[in-house]
This record gives sequence, C-alpha cells and structure tokens, in this order.
Amino acid sequence: MDFTESDEHRDLRAAVGAIAAPFGGAYYAEHARAGTECTELWHALGDAGFAGVNVPEEYGGGGGGLVELALVCEEIAAQGAPILLLLVTHAISAEVLVEYGTDAQRKEWLPGLASGRRKVVFAITEPGAGSNTHKLTTRARRVGDEWVVTGEKYYISGVDEAEALLLVARTGDEGQLSLFLVPTDAPGLQKSVLPVDVMLPEKQFTLHFDEVRLPASALVGEEGQGFRQVFHGLNPERITGAALCVGIARYALSRAARYAGEREVWGKPIGTHQGVAHPLAKAKIETELAALMTRKAAWLHQHGHPAGEAANMAKYGAAEAALAACDAAIQTHGGNGVAQEFGLLPYWGLARLLRIAPVNREMVLNFVAQHSLGLPRSY
Amino acid sequence: MNIVVLVKQVPDTYSERKLSSGDHTLDRDATDAVLDEIDERAVESALQLKEANDGSEVTVVAMGPDRATDAIRKALSMGADKAVHLSDEAIHGTDAIGTAKALVKVLGTLEGTDLVLAGNEASDGRTGAVPAMVAELLGLPSLTHARELTVDGGTVTVRRETDDGVTVLTAELPAVVSVNEKINEPRYPSFKGIMAAKKKPVTTLTLADAGIEPSDVGLSAAWSTVTESNPKPPKSGGEKVEDEGDGGSKIAAFLVGQKLI
Repeated sequence: MDFTESDEHRDLRAAVGAIAAPFGGAYYAEHARAGTECTELWHALGDAGFAGVNVPEEYGGGGGGLVELALVCEEIAAQGAPILLLLVTHAISAEVLVEYGTDAQRKEWLPGLASGRRKVVFAITEPGAGSNTHKLTTRARRVGDEWVVTGEKYYISGVDEAEALLLVARTGDEGQLSLFLVPTDAPGLQKSVLPVDVMLPEKQFTLHFDEVRLPASALVGEEGQGFRQVFHGLNPERITGAALCVGIARYALSRAARYAGEREVWGKPIGTHQGVAHPLAKAKIETELAALMTRKAAWLHQHGHPAGEAANMAKYGAAEAALAACDAAIQTHGGNGVAQEFGLLPYWGLARLLRIAPVNREMVLNFVAQHSLGLPRSY
Repeated sequence: MNIVVLVKQVPDTYSERKLSSGDHTLDRDATDAVLDEIDERAVESALQLKEANDGSEVTVVAMGPDRATDAIRKALSMGADKAVHLSDEAIHGTDAIGTAKALVKVLGTLEGTDLVLAGNEASDGRTGAVPAMVAELLGLPSLTHARELTVDGGTVTVRRETDDGVTVLTAELPAVVSVNEKINEPRYPSFKGIMAAKKKPVTTLTLADAGIEPSDVGLSAAWSTVTESNPKPPKSGGEKVEDEGDGGSKIAAFLVGQKLI
C-alpha cells in the first residue's frame, strides 16, 4: 500500500490553489450573497485546463479522470471558492457525454465545458420524484422525426448559466428512462427561479416543459438506457461533492485555527482552551478520514471498479465533516462568526445543503444498511 | 533559438526564514521551498520568446539540493522543454562567485546556447550579482534589470530599469539577460503542462560530472564569512497618533522624524 501522493497530483493541487487563491473567500462570499455566477474563476480554471481535467484531450480537455476532477473541486474549495455547479457540469454532464454522447454531441459541448465557457446542467428531480427516480413523470414522445417533451422539473441548478440541460425523461410504451440534450432557450421551456435561503452563486429552478420539440439528434446514448447512463454520472457527482466538502472543511478549519491562534482573551489565545480547540481538532480528524474515503472512491470509479459504496460513504463523511468544521469555525469566531466581514455563513449554508444533496444523508444510510450490511430494504 | 533559464529554489517568501545555528547558512528545512518568483518571470520570458520563434528550445538550469527538483518541475510544467540540475552536497554554502563559476561550468555542458536568462536577484540571498558574474565569466554581454525584452534576429534589446533610471541596451547574441519583477505575469502551469512535466528530460550532474573544481564551491570557498546572526526583533507596537484635528501634521512630523519625507 502506498499513500504517497504523486508529483503530478501535488503539482495539480498547488497550481489549482494558486489560481483560486487570488479569488478566495472574499470573492466567493460576495458572489454567494449576490447570487451571481463566479464567471472570472470559471474562465481562469478553464484557461489553465483545470475545469476540463476529465474531458478527453481531443475535445480540448486535460485527458485526466475523476481523481483529478475531485482534486480540483477540493482545492478550489480549500481556497474558499467552492463552485457547486462543477459537480453538475463536469462530474455528471461531461462524464455522461464522454461515455454515451454521439460524436456530434461531444464535438458540440465538450470543448466549451473544458474551457469553462459553456455549461450543460442536469435535470432529473421532479416535485413528485426526488430521490425516487421510479416516480419520474416527465415524458418525451416520438412524433415523426422529433421528440416532444412534457413535464416538470424541480430543484435544477444553474439553468440561467447553462446553454443546455441534460434531461432525464420517460420514453416509449414501457416508459423507460432516456437522456436528452435540451437547449435552455427551447420554445415551450419555462424557467422559474426557485428561491432558496442558502447563499450560493448558483440559482435553483423549476422547469415546465410544454410540448418542447427536440430533434431526433437530441437523444443521448440509447433510448430506454437512461437509468444506467444516469448512474454513470451520479457516483462522480457524489465523489466530487465529497471532495468539495473536504475543501470547505479545510477552508473553515484554516480560518478558525488562525482566528483561535490570534484572538486573545484574558491574555491567552482562545485556541489555548480545550472548549475551543477540541471541536476544531475533532472536525480536522473527520475531514482527514473523509478525504481518504473520497480519494478511494474517486480511484475506484476511475479504474472502472464498483464505486457506489465508497462514493456514498465518502459523501456522507465529507458532508458531516464540512458541517462540523463550519459550525466549529463559526463558534470559534464568536459574534464574528456571523459577521459579513468574516464571511463564514455562506460555507455553513453550502455544507448544510450538501448534507441533503446530491444524495441525502438518510438515503446513504439506507444504501449502506441494505447493500453493505444486507439488511432488509426499508422502502 | 536555444534559451537557458537559470532558476533557483528559495524559501517561500511569505514564510518565516531562518539561518542554521551551526554555519549561518539558510535553513532550507525550516520552510516550504518554491521556485523564486522573479525566476518564474524569467521562465515566462523564455516561453514567450520560444512561442514567437519557431524551433526554439527552453532549458532550465538549477543548482541546489535534491528537493530543487520541485522547482525544476514547476518550470517544466509551465512549458520549459528540459532541465539540468547540479546537485551535490559539496555546493552547500557556496557564495555568489562560486555559484557563478559552477553555473558557467553547467552551461558549458549545453551546446549552442543563444540566450541565458535569469531573475535579477533571488529572494533569499539577494546579492543580485550572479547574472552579471556569469556573463563576465562567459565573456558575454550582460544586460541586467530588464523590464522589457525583445529578440530580433541575432540582436537582443532590453529596457533596463533601476533606481538610477531607464536605459535601453542592445547586444548581439549570445548574451546574458536578467529580468526584474515587473517584466511580466508568469503563467500558471496548466493541467497538460503538469502531466507532461514528469516526462521531460532532467539531467542531474555532480560537481565531477560538470567539471567543477571542489575548491571553487562550498562554504569554505566563500569570500565572506558570517560570524554571527540574530533573528530580527519582534515588531514593536508602533506609535499611536490621536487625531485632535491635527492628525495630518502629526503624521507628517512622524514621517519627517523617520527621514521618510
């Protein structure tokens, strides 16, 4: 067994950190508060080839895989700039398009994803179908040479920033799932912001598909194989979500450690006191444990091994660690923990969201109970 | 055009730098080590020249302990083509003159060099003398403190900027040019650059490989000796000026007192 990090990965961490550092927490918190896209950071990451690390070289990407994408997610977050939408655009859309997209679809979308200039977001969840994909009702009917989509999607991230959606819809008599690329300006597609109280650069949307007509070429992969194809993107989403959480935790802990080392009360830095130090130490341990599982999960996926269990466990552990780290960091800062100047609450909100998404904590526990422990299915 | 860039690994400028208690040399283990910031700009200059001149090659030359490979790899990941690393325990403590002599020998192992680039001073030693010494030993024109650099055919032109003023210098290649911290903004290593760096050739030389006389380098050959060193005193509280309507003149008086205005 070898835990030495390769030179390339160390250099990748350093280079991504160097790009994200000048943006940092101030830049991110400002965009999170205003609900505006971190355009400059997307472009900087794209220009240096880090947005598209997992896109093949022939489409302008870096030719790396999920291990590298997870490192990018962790390092931008560790500098205070956790771009949540990368989980969608690159962990899901890019992975699915690389694996199942037609040549024309890859040529059209992958270069823009690699450069950080164009985005393809993902539309699966519906008002009546969150974690339960069996309840999806959005339908695509085949009419002549076209597909006609009707239905509703809910909690779809970043639609305003994207040029296309990767849509999951039912097709055919059997109602199997299929994937489609839908332009976000398609006639008949109505987009409404779904207001949330989490401070995020990315907005959430409700989408109504009213007889949205798509050409036959909009189908991604094979008709009726959407369920399997979607799963090719869901583990990467969980793994990069875990990586983002590890980075958020690192950022919160570094801020907290600095504050606890500098802020003096009664003549001693507050970090001297175990009531302050221990929650931070505990969160640090949980972060390192989560980081290990995250790397394992990314490695398993990249090497074509089953990664479901590790991805779920990594996502669970990392979200819990991030939340504990943010909470301890806020508590360490006392009243300053909620001050805009210190900008910690956006990270707590994001970490809290990541306990729910992309798969919620309870569904991970269900998975582990059923698949890892062989317990009866509860639902 | 064959371009060689002299680079140095230095302690992270933003860390607390220390001297070893024994021989008063830099304690390299006390801090993170990075590629010197001005050297990064020299690498950037070399890469820009390479991109403007088809068929050019950029070679990085570094002198330092084993872990200087990290700094070399950074330059390679930015886009340099190959590297030569002089790594020998006997170079520990070498002064500027010894460094220049050693670098000249290493440069001698490379053929057809048209242009030697360097940062004008390293952030640790800060003698700022090595590029000029290298030029002197090679018998080449020395164009230091370049704020701008252009090569046209066989001629190099630099805009030299120092406290004494601005001078435009021109020389025939081959020549040695040192650049200042304002010449450019160095590029970030790209993902492809990072992945490619590991596969680029790095030649590691000992003193004997490079034909360097052991008596020319090392602490014992240094022309100066450090007999004593003390850490800088901690920052004092400074002086607080209460503004009672006369804050401006009090600040001015303070600055006059410090001979700053």
